Amino acid sequence: MKSFSTLASLPGRLLLGSAAALTLLACDPDNDPNPGPAPVVTNSVFVINEGNFGRSNADISLFSKASNSVINKSLFASVNKMPLGDVAQSMAVRDSLGYIVVNNSNKLEVVSLFKFKSKATVKDLKLPRYFVAASSDKGYVTETVSYTTTFGQVSVIDLKTNQVTRSIAVGKQPEQLVVVGSRLYVTNNGDNTVTVINTTTDVVEGTITVGDGPNSVVADRNGRVWVLNSGKIVYNPNPTRLSKGSLSQIVPGQLTATTREMPSDQSSPGNLTINGSLDQLYYTYLGGVYTLGINEATLPTQPLIKRGGFYGLGVDPQDGTIYGGLASFSSADKVIRFKSTGAAIDSFTVLAGPNGFVFY
Amino acid sequence: MVLQTLLPGRLAAQFALLGGFGLLAGAVRPAAAQAPADTLRSQQLPAVRVSGLRPTHFAVGSRQLVLDSLALNNYRNGTLADALGARTAIYLKNYGPGQLSSISLRGTSARHTAVLWNGFNINLPSLGEADFALLPVNGTTQVEVQPGPAGATYGNGAVGGTVQLSAAANSPADWGRGWHGTVQGDYGSFGLGAGVATAGFSNQKIALRTSFNYRRANNDFPFYVGEGRGRVQQRQENAAFRQASFSQDATLRLGQRGELSIAVWLTDADRQIQPGIGTNNTNAQERDQSRRLTAGYRRVSTRREWAVRTAWFEDVINYRDDASGLSESTVRTSQAQAEHTWRLAPNASVRLGGEAQHFAAQVDGYGAAPRTENRYSGFLLLRYDPRPRLQLSLNLRQAVLPGRQPPLTPTAGAEWLALAAGRHALSLKGNASRSYRAPTLNERYWRPGGNPDLLPEESFGYEGGLAHTFKTTGLTLQNELTGYRQLVDNWVQWTPGASYWSPRNLRQVRAQGLEASSTLGWQPGAYRLTARGSYAFTSTEKTQGTAVDADPVGRQLPFVPRHTVALSTDNAWRGWQLGTTLTYTGHRYTDASATDFLPGYLLLNASVGRTLALAPTWQLLVLAQGFNLTDNNYQNYQNRALPGRNASFSLRLLWR
Repeated sequence: MKSFSTLASLPGRLLLGSAAALTLLACDPDNDPNPGPAPVVTNSVFVINEGNFGRSNADISLFSKASNSVINKSLFASVNKMPLGDVAQSMAVRDSLGYIVVNNSNKLEVVSLFKFKSKATVKDLKLPRYFVAASSDKGYVTETVSYTTTFGQVSVIDLKTNQVTRSIAVGKQPEQLVVVGSRLYVTNNGDNTVTVINTTTDVVEGTITVGDGPNSVVADRNGRVWVLNSGKIVYNPNPTRLSKGSLSQIVPGQLTATTREMPSDQSSPGNLTINGSLDQLYYTYLGGVYTLGINEATLPTQPLIKRGGFYGLGVDPQDGTIYGGLASFSSADKVIRFKSTGAAIDSFTVLAGPNGFVFY
Repeated sequence: MVLQTLLPGRLAAQFALLGGFGLLAGAVRPAAAQAPADTLRSQQLPAVRVSGLRPTHFAVGSRQLVLDSLALNNYRNGTLADALGARTAIYLKNYGPGQLSSISLRGTSARHTAVLWNGFNINLPSLGEADFALLPVNGTTQVEVQPGPAGATYGNGAVGGTVQLSAAANSPADWGRGWHGTVQGDYGSFGLGAGVATAGFSNQKIALRTSFNYRRANNDFPFYVGEGRGRVQQRQENAAFRQASFSQDATLRLGQRGELSIAVWLTDADRQIQPGIGTNNTNAQERDQSRRLTAGYRRVSTRREWAVRTAWFEDVINYRDDASGLSESTVRTSQAQAEHTWRLAPNASVRLGGEAQHFAAQVDGYGAAPRTENRYSGFLLLRYDPRPRLQLSLNLRQAVLPGRQPPLTPTAGAEWLALAAGRHALSLKGNASRSYRAPTLNERYWRPGGNPDLLPEESFGYEGGLAHTFKTTGLTLQNELTGYRQLVDNWVQWTPGASYWSPRNLRQVRAQGLEASSTLGWQPGAYRLTARGSYAFTSTEKTQGTAVDADPVGRQLPFVPRHTVALSTDNAWRGWQLGTTLTYTGHRYTDASATDFLPGYLLLNASVGRTLALAPTWQLLVLAQGFNLTDNNYQNYQNRALPGRNASFSLRLLWR
């Protein structure tokens, strides 16, 4: 578990939800040989509102846990007096900075989390999707490049200068990515693979076959990498149908995965998320939210939350409160909060297309 | 009524003498035909040759907005989007100069407006709507807009209203003109260049009209983003376009009663797709080509009339950008219509007819296999005027669509000349209609998400209004006030699912509002003024929805302005002309919760011109036009830049 000690120096603020960049602090729960994360305190929830494609109306809404209310619906625009851009795909946190990936503006917007002032903009990315920081000096962003090409890429960003230093070819349509130790795991959503990159050398170590359409990834307290695969659309020839989604597990250092298939082909699982103690997984599926412990042998058949159809999913690492983002992309969309038992708490209104949550 | 309707024609004729628009005046619809509700018309026509009854004859009690060649005159090199946007209170959602312009009639969406050319629906079958920026004015001689549902009269999609374009020789003035022609060149801001050439010939046997136009612009205009000190100027990228259009109309009279006509209309547009402010420029480019051919024969006698028409359209949309590559689409539509009309009495007529449409789509988004679809409808139109001052119409249509069927759609209308005293005339009108919209090919076949189980949208609407006319020898004033209400059911919207978006019958929408308009014609001697004002109040709200519909009820729908105003004047004096248009578009919400909105804006355009007589049959018009004269920084659609103050200069040479 050397990998964890390198990460243990990082602050205990973590991001969950879409980006799933994990920064871990050591703790020693009873009877657990692995160092788990320290308990964290979160005060604010940043809701990533994707916005409508082509209309540059993406923004971040700030929800205060203290007042249980949205303090600022359009946080970026109101602070910086300019729109955030077109299609906010995700947001990740490193130290006291937020990294917002603005997909159809081809940029990474770096903001201070204290006042949300724009600190830097990494421009000329190629349809960027997700960001993760491996250290205070180095970050990675996945880029689709083009929907017609076979290869997407991961660009390496120097977080001191906010410049792209190099780009690494990966699989088709790379989505979420996670750093475990000195390895970066990149889900290739257009394929059925995960690319493994050495974060010291930035060289591809290998490719792991998972299920069709890997879309989200988290690391658990044991350093294992969990990949959720959406399945893919099959034309038969009509009506449209899906191949079954699946959940894969990768043991660090190995270039193989064990994959468990989802029971139904009527829905695509998505939004793999993990709790604060990094031992309970959550994902959206069949219109609900499902959960399973990292040591459970079988996939759950009953949902934790039945209703939903959530576009974005987040779990507060402090208390396990579940945040589900409903996206109509038409009206001002809503976020519903649930206790960790699945009982609904309340809801609040944000902007169009809440696709993820950052707890800080 | 008769005098009132004569006026525009007469004005046009005088304008022709004064201003030298003799050529175009010939294309003005005959005075009598401008009053669809005028029962005296058929009795007044010369006995020699009987005109066929236009579809509007059966649209009693509806409001009609007519843009004749006089109103279209300054837009000869432009598109219908330009002309309707400046001359009417109709809202067009516009994505930039020369970019997609979609109409919203009475608070409905573009799919709810039937656009007809020579009686055939030219909405793109894939999208179910027409892009008004792709319809050059020069291909038509007259534009008639009938707001409100009229599915029985005009068929599929006539829910929010109907736009009828016609180019064929359909008035006595189109005959016996000999040779005539026009050539025009335009030069303007942001690389605008345009040219138009029109030539025609007619005697009493044959009428021909050929027109060609070309238009291009770089559209590299500056615009501003940000606020206050952070405001920065940017220059628009990737918004250039070029478009060309060719049209050929020919009408041949066969004997006293028969008439054979053909029409060809080719349009070709190559547009860069203007990226939104703050969005990635993917060098998107779209090629839109439409090839439209129609041929028809009709035979008209005093007691009966029959007509057969056929049309073949090919609509190509090829889109390409750096992110998604190339996506090609070709849809071929073959159509036939047949109708028989009995003039039972001078005050009663019946028309029975049917139409068949065959669509063959080769669209990348539908998969490799071609998709075909057939649609049919039959209709019965009745018009009866029990008293000279009272007109009634009752129309029925039943459509047969693949999959789920729409209901029988009737339309009933009445119009009563309540007062005709001295200089005043006052009419009361009203109508009620059921209408339908068939699911578009995209809604049924797009992969992924296409929903073959979609129900047709259905609507029921009614309207009532007053039309007042005041006339003296030198002055004519026409006022019209209409109130309407309509419920549209099974309203379709694309919504996100777990893996892909899909269209669903989501909700019921209620559109209601008021339309007021006034037209003043005044001619004290050599000076002549035509002034028009129109105002529309539009309230469109969701009234109920299905469980999966997250939009709230009771809020104004996004991108539907509550208030629109259009004011225009045309002034003519001894060969000089001055025109002004001022439009106001109220705020438009950008989300269905009606929280965020785009502010309202005023747009002022003006034109000044002089017509010079070069020779007895040759005239030259020198015209300068200014647009957005107050240099407003505004948005019609969210984050699509539009140019500030800009201008164009035209020279038009007219022969006969």
